[in-house]
Amino acid sequence: MKPKVAFFDFTGCEGCQLDALNLDAQDLIDLLNGIDIVNFREVMTERSDNYEIAFVEGSITTEGEIERVKRIREQAKIVVALGACACIGGVNCLKNHVPMEEALRIVYGKDAKYYNTIPARPADAVIKVDYYVRGCPPSTSELVKVIKALLLNKKPDIPNYPVCVECKKAGNICVYEKGQTCLGPVTRAGCNAICITSGRYCWGCRGLVDEPNIQSQKDILNKYGLTAEQVIEKFKIYDTCSEVLK
Amino acid sequence: MNESSVLVIESDPIVRESLSGWLSSTGFEVTSAEDGAKIIKVFAKSDFNIVIMDVRLHSETQLATLREMKAIRPWIKTIIITSHPQEETVLEAKKIGVVDYIVKPVDMDDLQKIIQGTVESICRGNLTDDNTSFETSGDDLVPGIKKSFAISRENLSLMVENLLKEIEVVGVKAKQGKYIYDRIYGFYELSLDYDVTVSPPTRYMFPPKETLLKFKTGNGNYVEPVIEYTPRVIIGVHPYDIKAIELLDEVFMNHNPDPNYIARRENTVIIGVDCLHPSPRSFAPSMGTNWTETGFDLLLTDIGNSYIVKIGTEKGAELLVKHTKYRLPTGDEIVRQKKVRGEALNRYKIALDTPKDRIPKILEESYDDPYWENRSATCLSCGSCIMVCPTCYCFDVKDEMALNLKEGERFRRWDGCMLVDFAKVASGENFRKDKASRFRHRMFRKGKYILERYGKVGCVGCGRCSSACLAGIASPLEAFNALAENIRLKEAATSVIQAAKPARDIYTPEMAEILSVRQLTEKEKVFELKLKSGKKLGHYPGQFVTVSIMGTGEAPLSISSSPLRGKNFQLAVRNMGDLTSALHSLEAGATVGIRGPFGNGFPLETLEGRDLLLIAGGIGLFPLRSLIQYVMDRRYDYGKVSLLYGCRTPAERVFTDELDFWQNSKEIDFHETVDMPCEGWTGNVGVITNLIDKVDIDPKKTMVAVVGPPVMYKFVIEKLKKRDLPDAHVFLSLERKMKCGVGKCGHCQINGIYTCQEGPVFSLTQLRSLREAVL
Repeated sequence: MKPKVAFFDFTGCEGCQLDALNLDAQDLIDLLNGIDIVNFREVMTERSDNYEIAFVEGSITTEGEIERVKRIREQAKIVVALGACACIGGVNCLKNHVPMEEALRIVYGKDAKYYNTIPARPADAVIKVDYYVRGCPPSTSELVKVIKALLLNKKPDIPNYPVCVECKKAGNICVYEKGQTCLGPVTRAGCNAICITSGRYCWGCRGLVDEPNIQSQKDILNKYGLTAEQVIEKFKIYDTCSEVLK
Repeated sequence: MNESSVLVIESDPIVRESLSGWLSSTGFEVTSAEDGAKIIKVFAKSDFNIVIMDVRLHSETQLATLREMKAIRPWIKTIIITSHPQEETVLEAKKIGVVDYIVKPVDMDDLQKIIQGTVESICRGNLTDDNTSFETSGDDLVPGIKKSFAISRENLSLMVENLLKEIEVVGVKAKQGKYIYDRIYGFYELSLDYDVTVSPPTRYMFPPKETLLKFKTGNGNYVEPVIEYTPRVIIGVHPYDIKAIELLDEVFMNHNPDPNYIARRENTVIIGVDCLHPSPRSFAPSMGTNWTETGFDLLLTDIGNSYIVKIGTEKGAELLVKHTKYRLPTGDEIVRQKKVRGEALNRYKIALDTPKDRIPKILEESYDDPYWENRSATCLSCGSCIMVCPTCYCFDVKDEMALNLKEGERFRRWDGCMLVDFAKVASGENFRKDKASRFRHRMFRKGKYILERYGKVGCVGCGRCSSACLAGIASPLEAFNALAENIRLKEAATSVIQAAKPARDIYTPEMAEILSVRQLTEKEKVFELKLKSGKKLGHYPGQFVTVSIMGTGEAPLSISSSPLRGKNFQLAVRNMGDLTSALHSLEAGATVGIRGPFGNGFPLETLEGRDLLLIAGGIGLFPLRSLIQYVMDRRYDYGKVSLLYGCRTPAERVFTDELDFWQNSKEIDFHETVDMPCEGWTGNVGVITNLIDKVDIDPKKTMVAVVGPPVMYKFVIEKLKKRDLPDAHVFLSLERKMKCGVGKCGHCQINGIYTCQEGPVFSLTQLRSLREAVL
């Protein structure tokens, strides 16, 4: 009996779902041999509320979304957070830096009165989440890795060490050695340090490791010339810095 | 070279004689002379390393003598004695290599300190002279091993271009102001005068990730070892990295030979180059790794327009003959090689304050030093230090299934002791859970454990870790120097290393069939297995095997049955992690992979003829049962046998039929207890240590074997000590995270020893010197 799998989107760009489909043909066939997809708004019209595994994408930003994600939790045996917004709050948390009324006004202007919003939060702020597919967007291989682990009933091999490990394995020259700054030392690896390898730095889209040394990371950012405000400005995009600055 | 030969040049005969006499009496070989100019001829032919000279610093002739001596022997250390120190002349003297000066009248204590410091600095870099010895004889152009030749830059280029036509060439090149190892396609890409590369060349022998096995699940359970390699020349390897590769050779080629490493190593040609412009963070001379006589196929020294090339192996010689032109070096070139090496030595900015041989002892005495806690507070546990270290080689092993869930690969990837989960097992226990213990463990590996286990330095002083560490705490040099300050010497404990068993495919499991499965409790089952080859497992009580379920992974499990009971063996297993959970879902007829048996079991010879006290806590009965069965099978070999068993609740009692049997047997004195009784329980209640009181013990005749959770050991040991049992009579089996089973991956290390090799059974005497064992 193939497990029934459903994909649900909350507040986000839906890029994670889009990326999930980015498999080559044989992989897609192999995947569909292992699971039944019963609900996936972005690719199919059929809908079913009979599923065992639910992928939730996006962060929770309205009261209505809280109720909806709770209902999904009741139905599903396993809930997987898909992507940075669902896993750590992500880009939507940018609005948490201003009062909610102001956020509504900035976004909707004179129509603000027709909308409601609450501070953005990750799925696990509302419900229990069993597994995480991290990243913005998550790599297709990571999604596949988590699905395979679910099918094999084993823990997915997602590291609990910082990006530095994979960055060094990639043979990169440290961003700090070039005089710049990076959240690699506290961010969970698993991305193969793709941003640094491509010449940028780590924004922390995969969230923190289990035991980040926040104080030391703060001291280092400071030593490399960033004030607390500059740290927010540079790293607030995925909300990882709110932890760093607590 | 004799570092204690001193030349004294002093015009005043009284001072000269008293100084020479005093130096001789302190153990120096002394030659003395009245006038420097006269001794120059003698000087060129002798072997002095330290010159003590009385100088009137304004005397141009004397300064000229100094310059001349320095030109002949660039590494000479000169100490001058003067009655008229003037700033500009002192500066001038320093320029020509004077290491220190002392003002008349000479204070012997001061002089002794200065000479001692000079001798130590020579000892630290004392490989200069040996390395510059030439073994070319006559006009012999036959390129034998250890011979040195000269090769022009053009001809070196020719050699590299020729090599590029037939083999992959990796070399050092510049990138963003740093240097890296990378594949090159032309000689012009090379930067052979670099300081240090960001990551070491060891990745070409031991890559960050590599496949060990390919497998198919389902019928037949097909498993095939994978060994991948590319023949390759690496050009530009500095001596300290060559020393690191020599360590890896020792680890991977001589103890449980690792076929994957061997294939890659044997297909790698190493062309080294002397490090003449060291990184400011390097302290290679302190570790004795700034020069090397071994470990390379060819070694280059850049002496300006040409290179001196030294031949290290037959392969290196062939390569030289086949691909380029070379010639005998001229006398001038030989002198220039000495000179550039001497200059290089002076460019190192930092050094050990103590001889490197003292480091193991310093560490031994600093185990409980507050340094570890204080210095590691800012550690990010980011692993940067270990990922750039040329002597780090620990790894993790994982299975990755293909999407069709029918086939997959078992791969290994770099892992290391600075990472949080490195020593964490499935039950959640983390045997090195705080930053300080991980930080200390790494320093102990770098300064002590590796050296004692393999006889080679565990830190080559390249300085990469201290560059990579954002918190600025990773340099072993800093740790060693800081700790050395607080140390007094004492006898170091000798290491416990035991010869390992050679095996060919050490990572490939042998298939075994599950013959039967029996549920013991809600969470525990016992599996009876048999190797498909029909061979006996050949284990001893207390040893373990690793069990593989291809696609899920591999885990160590202790053997629960006696080797005396036929070809089958039993594994009793608690459902706790991925592998055990998968194993629990299997039924009779299924196939699993087995590697082992591994480690040291209970010391059967020591136990023979003695009274035995066997103590099991919880599922500690699983491994101990192999010994209990063995003892029962050879009951006549032992005196009185007592067995104590305790678990948390009656529902958690395992092997209840056997417990009943022992209860009623006259051959064994059996007592059991539970921590929390339930209704209907009529037996003992309380902790297992209470049971020890119920047993008569003759401490001289009694041997004790204990297996249980870590928390139990402390209390049991206390109780046994109250009953006067000597440490050498007490044996415990320790749990640690075991991955490879062959003493390589590093996860199971307790201080300097590997649990999978020297353990899991240890005597209490052994454990007393293993502080990470925490008793």
